[in-house]
Amino acid sequence: MPPILGSTVPQCLYIHIPFCLKKCDYCDFYSISGSSPEMLERYSAALLSEIDRQAASFPAHHIRSIYFGGGTPSLLSVSQITAILERILLRFSVDSRAEISLEANPATIDQNKLAGMVKAGVNRLSLGVQSFDDGELRMLGRVHSSRQARETLRLIADLPLKNYNVDLIYGLPGQSINGWLNNLRQAVAFGPQHISMYLLQLEPDTPMGQAVEDNRLLLLGEDSEAEMYYAGIDYLSAQGYRQYEISNLSRPGAECRHNMFYWQAESYLGLGAGAVSFAQGRRWRNQPDMQAYLAAHQSKQDGLTEELERMDQPGLIADAVILGLRMTEGIDLAAFAGRFGLDLADRYDETIRRCQAEGLLEMKHGRLFLTRAGYFLSNQVMRRFLD
Amino acid sequence: MQDRIRNFSIIAHIDHGKSTLADRLLEMTGALSQREMREQFLDKMDLEREKGITIKLQPVRLKYQARDGQEYILNLIDTPGHVDFSYEVSRSLAACEGALLVVDASQGIEAQTLANVYMAMDLNLEIIGAVNKIDLPGAEPEVVMQEMENVLGLDQTEVLPISAKLGTGVVDLMESIVQRIPPPKGDEEAPLQALIFDSYFDSYKGAISYIRVVAGQVRKGEVIRMMSNEKEYEVTEIGVVSPYMTEVPVLKAGEVGYLVAGIKNVKDTRVGDTITGAGRPADQPLPGYQEVKPMVYCGIYPLENSDFERLRDALDKLKLNDASLFYEPETSDALGFGFRCGFLGLLHLEIVRERLEREYDLSLLATAPSVVYKFRLTDGSEMYISNPTRWPAPQKIDQIMEPYVKASIMVPHDYVGGIMELCQEKRGIFVTMEYLTPHRVLMTYKLPLAEILYDFFDALKSRTRGYASLDYEVTGFEVSDLVKVDIMLNGEVVDALSFIVHEEKSYYRARAIAERLRKIIPRQMYEVIIQAAIGSKIISRENIKAMRKDVLAKCYGGDITRKKKLLEKQKEGKKRMKQIGHIEVPKDAFLRVMNIEED
Repeated sequence: MPPILGSTVPQCLYIHIPFCLKKCDYCDFYSISGSSPEMLERYSAALLSEIDRQAASFPAHHIRSIYFGGGTPSLLSVSQITAILERILLRFSVDSRAEISLEANPATIDQNKLAGMVKAGVNRLSLGVQSFDDGELRMLGRVHSSRQARETLRLIADLPLKNYNVDLIYGLPGQSINGWLNNLRQAVAFGPQHISMYLLQLEPDTPMGQAVEDNRLLLLGEDSEAEMYYAGIDYLSAQGYRQYEISNLSRPGAECRHNMFYWQAESYLGLGAGAVSFAQGRRWRNQPDMQAYLAAHQSKQDGLTEELERMDQPGLIADAVILGLRMTEGIDLAAFAGRFGLDLADRYDETIRRCQAEGLLEMKHGRLFLTRAGYFLSNQVMRRFLD
Repeated sequence: MQDRIRNFSIIAHIDHGKSTLADRLLEMTGALSQREMREQFLDKMDLEREKGITIKLQPVRLKYQARDGQEYILNLIDTPGHVDFSYEVSRSLAACEGALLVVDASQGIEAQTLANVYMAMDLNLEIIGAVNKIDLPGAEPEVVMQEMENVLGLDQTEVLPISAKLGTGVVDLMESIVQRIPPPKGDEEAPLQALIFDSYFDSYKGAISYIRVVAGQVRKGEVIRMMSNEKEYEVTEIGVVSPYMTEVPVLKAGEVGYLVAGIKNVKDTRVGDTITGAGRPADQPLPGYQEVKPMVYCGIYPLENSDFERLRDALDKLKLNDASLFYEPETSDALGFGFRCGFLGLLHLEIVRERLEREYDLSLLATAPSVVYKFRLTDGSEMYISNPTRWPAPQKIDQIMEPYVKASIMVPHDYVGGIMELCQEKRGIFVTMEYLTPHRVLMTYKLPLAEILYDFFDALKSRTRGYASLDYEVTGFEVSDLVKVDIMLNGEVVDALSFIVHEEKSYYRARAIAERLRKIIPRQMYEVIIQAAIGSKIISRENIKAMRKDVLAKCYGGDITRKKKLLEKQKEGKKRMKQIGHIEVPKDAFLRVMNIEED
């Protein structure tokens, strides 16, 4: 199912579930901790109302991916997830082969819930494991133990799912290369089709970010971080995973379609408080304010949104380049020219040559893509395309 | 008329409360209403008000109703509170009959203050001592009064305790000014002699001179003559500052005011010069006029080469207002076209640089400050250089000389050992040591000026916990064993980083600077080798490893906008870099590299 290149009609739905048992110490996404079941119920109801309104606002769409992200979407009950998916199927035209992903936290699911979610239509799970070391989990402020993560993984592995992902974080203060590879080995042992490995990158307004600023936590430094990154990729490649994006690897064919749509600069609609949408050259965000969101949708009104960006052609092109280069297959130059009417190789001739000379970028078989060395230095390349 | 005039200066160390006292005087004499009052009213520049340091206040004329029932005119003429401007201090003092010495009740007398009081005494000024900030918890007014008696010979019973902030004692202070400072003398009928003690440039009126009429009188419409260069001008306006400019018909001997005469540039109305009448000139100028020479030089370059002309315009405009600023175009292989600029001292340099960036919106790059070196060449000729890249060929050099200063350091006696150690490290030669009180010592050293520029102030501060104060005057050139050190990045000499240093210190300094560059220059796409060399001999080497990481690990639908902004911001950050060959060097590196103590 190749994506429709350059389509401006929304192809994905992102459902933001901004609730957590407790916010992790490195996280700066919009989420609320310790909410009551009633609150989740009210939120689910509000989402149904937003689904109605959004579907009406974008009559032209072709939904090929639905993604529950958070926060912690697995805090929703099976019936809530079922109701949301049913309403989406009712209001939107959803491709029968659509990928339906849900992010889960090991502390929030059991066998029944997993089975119920699959029955509701979820066909891809993404489990936020982050580490198999309890010390590291505590440092990150995760609410689950490594034992809980292993138990949940065992349950997931038994499900009739074609695809699930494990999220892991590297570059933690005090982490060694071996410690990191050991985390990867434990993940691989469960046989996930997909592994995301993220470098710990902290925003200053998070508890961990603050600790680093105050010198209470010491980051590893770029040499160790780069070593861990490449060691991780090498290890996973040897285990049969294929890197398809800077931080993502999968068994061939098990790439996360939803994220591929993002990196192909396709349009998407975000539902829920704090969710971001991108369509018709605009990127906007539902206000990250739970009370306002509930109030608006309870009275069947549009919630408040904030425009993040309104892009002209050069802006859209910049987006498509910096996103497209994240994928290992890079940018198809002919398709790009067809979509934007711009010959990248010609327009950025000098930039491309310079990046090639530095060994960061390659142009072959009509594609422009980062080299292995270029992945971890990709900002150097992307910045130069921002003119 | 003269009987009712009192001309006085305020001598005070930075932070001892000069601006606050001036505010109180304005307020308590009714020169300003509460509504007009704002803090540090007489500070001239935004920069001063912002930094809370006052280099020099505007002169001001105050009307004071004294206890004897008479109204007096008090002319406050400020003295700049910084060593860079000691010549201007002397001219301000020369315009007065008395001086108010303001000393912080918890800090005591500082070296700079001492030097200025001695200057005032040499000019036979009546000194009125005041101990300020007596309202603060750490105040020890008695101790400071005792010190003023011991050190300066003031009668401690006559020193006034005041709080400029609260207004305490300020009326008594004004009474003392009236009673103790003699009124000006001077023959109103004699040929005109007016001392210029300050001047500034006004875009509407041209150069405005602040003057003290010493003899004779001056009126609007008269033709005047500058005695230093014989240039003549017609007076278009005279007036007084009270504290707004107010025209008056005449200024007579003893009076202080301003004068406008269609003078295009402050360099034609230099501080210390004498104005006389063209029709009936005085025989002699007033004593003490000097042409001030820059002591410290540095290269100033626009970060964008295309801004060179804008920089020239900005310097031309600043020069209108600053006769002591010197500049001439120069080129650097590393930095392109710029100017070699000369300043009275480091503060002066800092002020000019900040004003260029702030008021003229320029992005600048400054090289490390340097003194002037004097060379005697083998052919017998002499030359001066202020830029290390002008270093003559080694075989042509017979002798190298550098400027020395006489430095006076005042310090609590506990720190004497530390100061001796510091001065020794800085190639100082001990001259004298004198106990001013049982606890305070005045130490005198001969020191190379270059050492003072380097990091002397910081070292002094850190070794004496801020209790030492320093004053210095340049005494002349002395033969010295100096070498030029070049800095190379990946084998290429970066001329703007070359420096001159005493031979004995060259290794230490070269190593420190190479290490510092390693920390300042961010990792690049390639490894960078930093080398320091004297001639062709490498004396230090460091390397900066190639960059390994510059990545956004996560980028999904929700944060694409933010991530893109981050990339754009990083791209902006590149503008603060100077491209030298393939290497991006932060623009402040050229200055920061010399501040070894910064670490």
